[in-house]
Amino acid sequence: MQVTSRRRLLLAAVILLCLGIWLAGAGGLLEYHSSKEVLAPPGQGHWLGTNEIGQDVLTGLILATPTTLALAIATALVTVSLAVGAASLVVFGGPFLSALVLRCVDILQVVPTMLLLLLIAALVSPGFMALFFLLVLTGWSDDVRVAAAVLRREALRENVQYPRVMGAGWVYCWRWHLFAALRPLLGALMVQNIRQAALKSAGLAFLGLTDPRLLTWGSMMQSAMDQLYTDAWIWLLLPPAALLSLLLHTTLTLGDRRLRSGAVLGPAV
Amino acid sequence: MDNASPSLLDHSVPTEITGAGSRAVERFARFLSGFVLRLLIFCFVIVLCAVLSRMMPGDTLEVMLSTDFARGLGAGEVLQLQEAMGLGGGIASQVWDYWGKLLSGDLGYSIPHAAPVLQLLLTALPWTGLLILGAMPVFLIGGALAGIEAGQLPGGTVDRWVTPVVTILASLPPFTGAVLLLLLFGILWPVLPTGGAEPLFPSTEHLGRAMGVLRHAILPMLALALHELARFYFLARAETLNLAQRDFIVNARARGISPWRLRWAYIGRSLVPACLSRLSDTLTGLVSAVFFVEIVFSYPGTGYLIYSAILDRDYDLLQGAVVFMAGVVLLMNWLIDGLSAHLARRG
Repeated sequence: MQVTSRRRLLLAAVILLCLGIWLAGAGGLLEYHSSKEVLAPPGQGHWLGTNEIGQDVLTGLILATPTTLALAIATALVTVSLAVGAASLVVFGGPFLSALVLRCVDILQVVPTMLLLLLIAALVSPGFMALFFLLVLTGWSDDVRVAAAVLRREALRENVQYPRVMGAGWVYCWRWHLFAALRPLLGALMVQNIRQAALKSAGLAFLGLTDPRLLTWGSMMQSAMDQLYTDAWIWLLLPPAALLSLLLHTTLTLGDRRLRSGAVLGPAV
Repeated sequence: MDNASPSLLDHSVPTEITGAGSRAVERFARFLSGFVLRLLIFCFVIVLCAVLSRMMPGDTLEVMLSTDFARGLGAGEVLQLQEAMGLGGGIASQVWDYWGKLLSGDLGYSIPHAAPVLQLLLTALPWTGLLILGAMPVFLIGGALAGIEAGQLPGGTVDRWVTPVVTILASLPPFTGAVLLLLLFGILWPVLPTGGAEPLFPSTEHLGRAMGVLRHAILPMLALALHELARFYFLARAETLNLAQRDFIVNARARGISPWRLRWAYIGRSLVPACLSRLSDTLTGLVSAVFFVEIVFSYPGTGYLIYSAILDRDYDLLQGAVVFMAGVVLLMNWLIDGLSAHLARRG
């Protein structure tokens, strides 16, 4: 119970922070403009230094945070919802629908998705919405089997069977019984998907395949790669890399410990 | 036992006599159906690649025409080029032509590299294979050994020290790990080469050349192995925790067998099917991790080739490479799946 409320508080804090940054960015309080101070080391004027066109790294990091987090969280939310919807079809949809969904899942699980992502991203340079769409399309199938297994188990329990016998429909049972039983799993899947989406989007941004206007930690790392042979890598590369690793570390430790046996790591980017 | 209730004997006799053959047939059929599924997926990838790249605004020729290639070209020559590049006609006829070429083993021609795509891919593939094969023993054996040590004594010294380190490693995206290794051992303390697969002037002797290749491969292999290590560490740790409570392990411990035999012959062998099936799950992930590693180290494998195709807008190479790599991944995935199913059945 304590852990759940702590997670809720953390999530609320993250959402509030993102909203605050967005408002600050939109209101002109935080401006990420170029200046004549090119590649300035961290100091009084620029706490985390500047990049090769004189943009303040700290401002960039702050402005990139809501985009990176929102992309990961929105993708995870939709991916998990789609996975649970597909799992419901597998369990309650009858033999034809069940077989159809499971074959789709089979196909998507062996398709080398990163190759397709690379191809599509190279052709369209996706912005926020296109990237979100691509990540959802390639991510929803991973959790269908896990969700279907739990759903099938829970659907056989007395607290579901009893209202069924009394005439309740599946929608009622879903709302009042199955959803509550699925919640711990949904939490774990959400965390796992946030991790996956963050990794994939950062990977594509690192390769420079996303829309150049989309400011994320991954794209900041990509532009820092030119400075590996100068001292500037310390303030250009390390901060976004550290924030990205911190996000991945947080999701790893927030995830269910049982999932840590490797499933939570999922496929690499 | 009364006749109405099914007994174990009722079940086992017919399968002993007649079921074994049919089960073997069933297994073979499943193995084959796996192949058919992957073949269908491969066809889907080919169609997707062919259609997608042609549906995008602008084709390869238009990209080329916006550069120096176009200098002095007349309208007739442009049309001729369009036909020669398979860009004439509608999408359906283009896709059909592409299929025909693929079946005859022609993946297209890369103009920036001035070479056929298939030849470029076949030159690059051994380098990628070298990195994956070199990293595999490190993350498989290293991860499994460390996981067994930690799982045998949860909360012990190894577990307390290694688990947090591996958790941090697992939090590093593959490109971050590769960049940090490059910085540490290539730039800040330059003991290993930072890019390429061979020295600028490779040695003419076999041994000298092999040493040069090995020196260049160490950092990329290590970057790949470090990224995958966490996955197998956590798997081995969790499996060892479960195995420790199984009767045959408890019995072996009670008989006082040597600790190494317990690790190797009892726990290690039982981990093989789980590790193999995880390897099959993560094969596509491994291929994409190797892309990032190759890009960071400018290693001339397929990943770097694909990246250069993206930068040069060399769509023929990009498309050919994606089709080719998808074929390789699906084939490997099918073989490892079959092998892990076979091993899991043996227990």
